[in-house]
Amino acid sequence: MNVEMLPIEIIGLKKNLQLAIQTIRELGCMHIDEITESMGISARPLTLDRETLSHQEELSYLVARIEGLLDALSVQEVESVRPKKEDCLAEARNGVETLSPTVQSLADQREKLQTEIASLPRYEATLRKLLPISPPSAHEVGKVTIGILVSRAHVGILDSIGRRVLDLTAGRAEIVASDVDTSTRAMLLVFPEEFTNDVESLLGQEDVSRLRLPSELGEGPPDVVLAVLHRRMVDIPIEIQNIDRELSRLASLWGAKLIAWRDNLRDQIEANSVLPLFGETDMTFVLAGWIPKKDLDRLRESLTEMLDGKVLVRQLSITPEIKKLTPVALQNPGPAKPFESLVNLLALPRYGHIDPTRLMALFFPLFYGMILGDVGYGLLLLVLGFVLLRKLKRGVARDVVIVLIMGAAWSILFGILYGEAFGTLGEHLGMHALWFDRASADHVAALLIMTLVVGAVHITLGLILGVWEAFKDRSRNHLLERGGMLLALISLFLLVGVLAEILPAELKTPAWVGMIIGVVLLGASLGWLGVIMGPIEFIGLIGNVLSYLRIAAIGLASVYLAKVANDVAGLVGNIFVGIIIALLIHALNLVLGAFSPTIHSLRLHYVEFFRKFYEGGGRPYKPFRSSFNIGLDYSYDSEEG
Amino acid sequence: MENGLAIGLTAIGAGLAVGLAAIGTGLAQARIGSAGAGVIAEKPEALGTIILLVAIPETMVILGFAVAAMVLLLGG
Repeated sequence: MNVEMLPIEIIGLKKNLQLAIQTIRELGCMHIDEITESMGISARPLTLDRETLSHQEELSYLVARIEGLLDALSVQEVESVRPKKEDCLAEARNGVETLSPTVQSLADQREKLQTEIASLPRYEATLRKLLPISPPSAHEVGKVTIGILVSRAHVGILDSIGRRVLDLTAGRAEIVASDVDTSTRAMLLVFPEEFTNDVESLLGQEDVSRLRLPSELGEGPPDVVLAVLHRRMVDIPIEIQNIDRELSRLASLWGAKLIAWRDNLRDQIEANSVLPLFGETDMTFVLAGWIPKKDLDRLRESLTEMLDGKVLVRQLSITPEIKKLTPVALQNPGPAKPFESLVNLLALPRYGHIDPTRLMALFFPLFYGMILGDVGYGLLLLVLGFVLLRKLKRGVARDVVIVLIMGAAWSILFGILYGEAFGTLGEHLGMHALWFDRASADHVAALLIMTLVVGAVHITLGLILGVWEAFKDRSRNHLLERGGMLLALISLFLLVGVLAEILPAELKTPAWVGMIIGVVLLGASLGWLGVIMGPIEFIGLIGNVLSYLRIAAIGLASVYLAKVANDVAGLVGNIFVGIIIALLIHALNLVLGAFSPTIHSLRLHYVEFFRKFYEGGGRPYKPFRSSFNIGLDYSYDSEEG
Repeated sequence: MENGLAIGLTAIGAGLAVGLAAIGTGLAQARIGSAGAGVIAEKPEALGTIILLVAIPETMVILGFAVAAMVLLLGG
C-alpha cells in the first residue's frame, strides 16, 4: 500500500534556518525537493554565505584527515554511536591536530623502512658481485672506495676513467675491474680521501653513475657494507614491528573516537547538503517537499515550538503535475514487507497506483510451494532459511530468506497433499497423496488442468485490477485494452467449460459473442493496427495462461529427478555407493528446488501478472534524516524496501 | 509391434516438441543473458528488468511442454 503523501511548503526567518534544518532532520519524515515552478512558490534559490561555505569546507577537510588517520592506523570499522553535538567539531579538530604528527611520522618511517627492505636484496646482489674484486687497500684508513657498474657494451669508458683517476691522484689510486656477469663490468676505485671531490666531479663529467648505496649502509669497501646490509635486513623487520605495535596502540586508544567524530561530521555535512534545495526571499527561507499525511501535524507542532511560532507550514494544492512528482513509500504488514524488495527489484510502483506487495505475498509462496511440493526438501529449506535468518540482520538478502522460508512452509503443505518426501521416498515410508500423485502418469492431466486454473484465476485477477486502474486514471485506451482482454478471456473460459460439458450448451453462443467483442475492444485500443494486433494480443494472453503450466512442468522435473535418485540407489549393488549417489542427486535437486521455483514464481508475477495492471517508475521516498535515526521512528522506510 | 511403433513415435514427437522449443529458448536466453549481464555490470538496479527479459523466451519451452503433454495424453 502507498503511504498518503502531502506536498508542503515551509517558510521561516533566515536566522532560524539551521534550527529549522535540525528540527526537520530530527523528525526525519520530510522528503525535501527542489522548488519547481509547478509548486507555485515564488522564491529565488538560496545563496550560501561565506561563513556557511567555509564551515562546510572545514568539515569536509576534517573528515578527509580523519579518514587518512583511520587508514594509517588500520582501524576496524565499528558501528558508531552518536556523540554529543556540542564541541564535536572543536574536539575533533584538537584530536586530529594532536594525533596527526605522531601518526604521520610513524607512517613515514614505516614506509621508508619498507622501501629500504625491498631494495636491500638488490644491493646485496650488486655488492656480492663486487666482493671478489675488492683490493686489500680498501680497508686502509683514509681511503675511499667507489664502485662503478657499466654495461659491457660501453666497457671502453672504464679504461678511460681508470687512466684519468690515476692521473688525478698522481698514481695513488688503486683500480680493479672485472666482469660481474655476461652483460655488466664492474670497476672499484680506491683512492686517498682528499681526492674524493675531484674523482666525484670527474665521474660527473663523464656522465657515469657510481654505485650509490642507501645512507644507512654507510661508505666503505664491499665486504664492510655487505655486513652492515645483513644487519639491516635483520633489524628492519623488528623496527617495522615496533612501529606497528605503536600504531595499533594508538588505534585502540583513538580508533573509536575517530570513527565517532568522522560519522558525526559526515552527519553534519549531510545535514547541510539540503541547503542548495532551499529558496529565499530577503528575510525568509523557503523549503518545499513531501510528508506522509499522518506526520504533518507532528512536523507543524515541532517547528512552531522550536522556532517560537515564527514559521509557516502550508499544505500545497495537489495539481496533476505535482501528483506525478509524489515520492512513494510502501507500507505493508510484517509478513508482506519482505516482498517489497521483490516488487522493487522490478520497479517501485507509481504514487496512487496499486502496490502489488500483498498480492505477491499471497501468491508467490503459494506458487513456490506448488512447484516444489515436497516435505523433505521443504523441511531442509526451512531449516536452512532459519539458519540464514539468524545471520542476516537486514537488507534484501534477509527479505529473500524470509520469502524462501514462506515458500518452504507451503512446500511442506503441498508435499503432504502430493504425498512426497524426497520424491518417491515418502511413498516407501508410508506417505500417500491426498490430492495429486505427481509421480503417477494418471494424475498428470489433472495436475496440468489445475495449474491452468490457477493461471486463469491469477491473470483474471490481474486484469480486474488493470481495469480498475484504467477506470481510476480515466485512461480510455487502457480500459478498452484490459476490459477487452478480460471479456475475451472470461468468454474463452465459458467456451472451454461448454466444450468440456461442464457448463450448459446454451452458453456457447454468448461465449463466442463475448470473445469476439472482447477481441474487437482489445483491437480498438491499438488503433488501426488493432485489426491485426487485437487477435495476436489475445493469443498472447492465452499464452500467458498456458505459461502457468510451468508450475506443473518444473514440479514434475523435480519429482522425476528425485525418483531417479531413489531408483539409482536401489539399482547399484553396493548399498553405501547407492546412498552416496542418491544423496548427490538429491543435493542437486535441492539446489534446483531452491532456485527454480523462485525464478519461475518471480517470472509469473513480473511477466504474466504485473503486466496486466502494474504501473512502475515511482520516485522513492527519501526522508531527510540523520543516518543515526534510520529505523528508529518509522515502520515504513523507503531505503529499506 | 504396430502399437509399440506408435508409442515410440508418440514419445519421439513429444520429445521433439519440448527439445526443439528448449533449443529455441536456450538460444534466445543466451543472447539476452549475455547482453543483460553487461547491463547489470553497468547498472545493477536493472536486475529486475533483466530477469524479466531473460524470462520472456521461456514461454516457448512451456508451450513446447504443453504440446508434448497433449501429444502424450491425448495422442498416446
